[in-house]
Amino acid sequence: MNFLTLAAKNLLRRRGRTFLTVLGVAIAITVLFSLLSLNSGYEKELNKEMGSLGVHILAVPKGCPYEAASLILHGGVIPKYLTATDLKNVSRIDGIELATPMLMQQFIRQDAKTGKDVPHVVFGIKIDEVRELKPWWKVQGRFFTDGETNVMLVGRGLADKENLTVGSILPAGPFKNFTIIGILDRTGDQDDQFHFVPLTEAQRVFNKTGMLTTIAVKVKDLTQIEKISEEMEKIPDIQVVTMTQIMGTIMNLAGSARSLLFTVIAIALIISAFGIINTLLMSVNERTREFGMMKAIGASGLDIGKMVLAETVFITLVGGLIGTVAAIVGSSLIESFVKGMLPYAPRGTMVSMSPELIGFALIFSVALGLICGLYPAFKSSRLSPMEAIRGGVE
Amino acid sequence: MSRIIEAKSLVKTYRRGREEIHALRNVDFQINEGEFVSIIGPSGSGKTALLNVLGCLDTPSGGSLRLNGVETCGLKERELVRVRRDNIGFVFQQFYLMPTLTARENIELPLLFSRKDANKSRIDEVLQMVGLSDRGDHLPGQLSGGEMQRVAIGRALINDPRIILADEPTGNLDSATSKMIFELFRELNRKGLTLVIVTHNLDLARQAQKMYTLRDGQIVGCEDRACVLEGPT
Repeated sequence: MNFLTLAAKNLLRRRGRTFLTVLGVAIAITVLFSLLSLNSGYEKELNKEMGSLGVHILAVPKGCPYEAASLILHGGVIPKYLTATDLKNVSRIDGIELATPMLMQQFIRQDAKTGKDVPHVVFGIKIDEVRELKPWWKVQGRFFTDGETNVMLVGRGLADKENLTVGSILPAGPFKNFTIIGILDRTGDQDDQFHFVPLTEAQRVFNKTGMLTTIAVKVKDLTQIEKISEEMEKIPDIQVVTMTQIMGTIMNLAGSARSLLFTVIAIALIISAFGIINTLLMSVNERTREFGMMKAIGASGLDIGKMVLAETVFITLVGGLIGTVAAIVGSSLIESFVKGMLPYAPRGTMVSMSPELIGFALIFSVALGLICGLYPAFKSSRLSPMEAIRGGVE
Repeated sequence: MSRIIEAKSLVKTYRRGREEIHALRNVDFQINEGEFVSIIGPSGSGKTALLNVLGCLDTPSGGSLRLNGVETCGLKERELVRVRRDNIGFVFQQFYLMPTLTARENIELPLLFSRKDANKSRIDEVLQMVGLSDRGDHLPGQLSGGEMQRVAIGRALINDPRIILADEPTGNLDSATSKMIFELFRELNRKGLTLVIVTHNLDLARQAQKMYTLRDGQIVGCEDRACVLEGPT
């Protein structure tokens, strides 16, 4: 027998109470672990999404707020336009490897199954240049060429959703009679949901000849991004947004949501901590005479304190283990809840569980036990043996 | 025989609000090694207070107490723990056994606190000494009152103490079981252990070699019964 087995056996005396306290800790650790794993996964996924864009700088029309850049990423429409002159001016700047024009528009098309009007996003692009930005693009069917008319590529997600296949001809909407000549392989990002047509076709269909919504820029040297951005800012009508700025904007937006989540964690932990302290104090008060007996048979105050502390660590460690397993098992549920609270949620999975995070959750639960157990342990260790035996200490 | 307990002018005063309770008033008291001593007296006479002070569970308000030659007055709690651990075994009226530990584990408990290895043969020896060889794996809830008190006595013996202090050890037991427990005490005393027992039971108290009577915190009588017990030679 040692102090740990003694502590474990003590806890088994009040099984119901011990179970409820462990449950309280488990819930707190589930919340903590889930939100921490989502937090680290969020940044990772966001970085991945930015990387998949293949673009280092976006040029948008002046007056367009930074927040609008996140619209671009997900197909929002900006009601201002750049021109071919802007593109020429941007392309002249030293250090730019590629500057490609894009026209992004929304259009409404009836859903084939439900008959409801559904908003869709289409990108007018220069295919060769975009393929240079996104070399990972693969297509079932073929890519269009810049001069082709009435042809379209669609993302895999969209094709699956709308039952589109290579050779399908769109029956209605502004792209009526356009043939789908290729379906992009799944990329795991926003491209899976978009339509792509040659730039000139998009300009023709939407009557925006010579107009652009974005110029996507790839630089030769990433360390020169700031310098190139400054040069681009000198061009009238252009506002420059770097990917770092977009990330920053999104992270700021997400920051307030995260503050809310961390408040939830803090509240859950505080409630749990008081639950543990309450349980232990009750247990200490109930066992006053027993502690007196222990002191009489040779236990020091430190021994009693150690035993109470061991009981707390047991409760929190078991609670921590259960909570971590529950968080791993229920991560998809928690993720869908958290995604609903975020202003910008990446499409991929946000849950990122590392051994370090599991280790942290367990160490945290033990630390919680040590902190919560300190006062009850101190109180029990200070009991006078004689008064404890009399049971006179409250 | 050497003096194992030597109390001089022991005073113990408690405060309850504004009231002062004089539990012990200038008690002088000596016990030699190997003696079997009982202390009797009415409720509130100071018997338990005296036992608690002798066992270093409580500190006297005045006077001097030497245990096994060591002056205990003025010792810090940590030092008192050591004195208790090395010299004294306690037996209580309520047994105070840990309900989740078996008889064997309850007996083993003091070894944990004194950082000694749980020697199985020593525990078996103690179980045999208290007549519970076949009950070692039972929980307290599965034992009778007398058996529980035997476990408590075993627990008091495991650290090989010089003195056993027992506070109303038969208070919760029927008369037959009480006799058996006292017989066990006498057996231990025959093996050389010093015993101090506080009891209300005069018949049992008379089985000790010395019987002190306490009243209002003072020793008012001492009956040396050694010659009575041994009979005429």
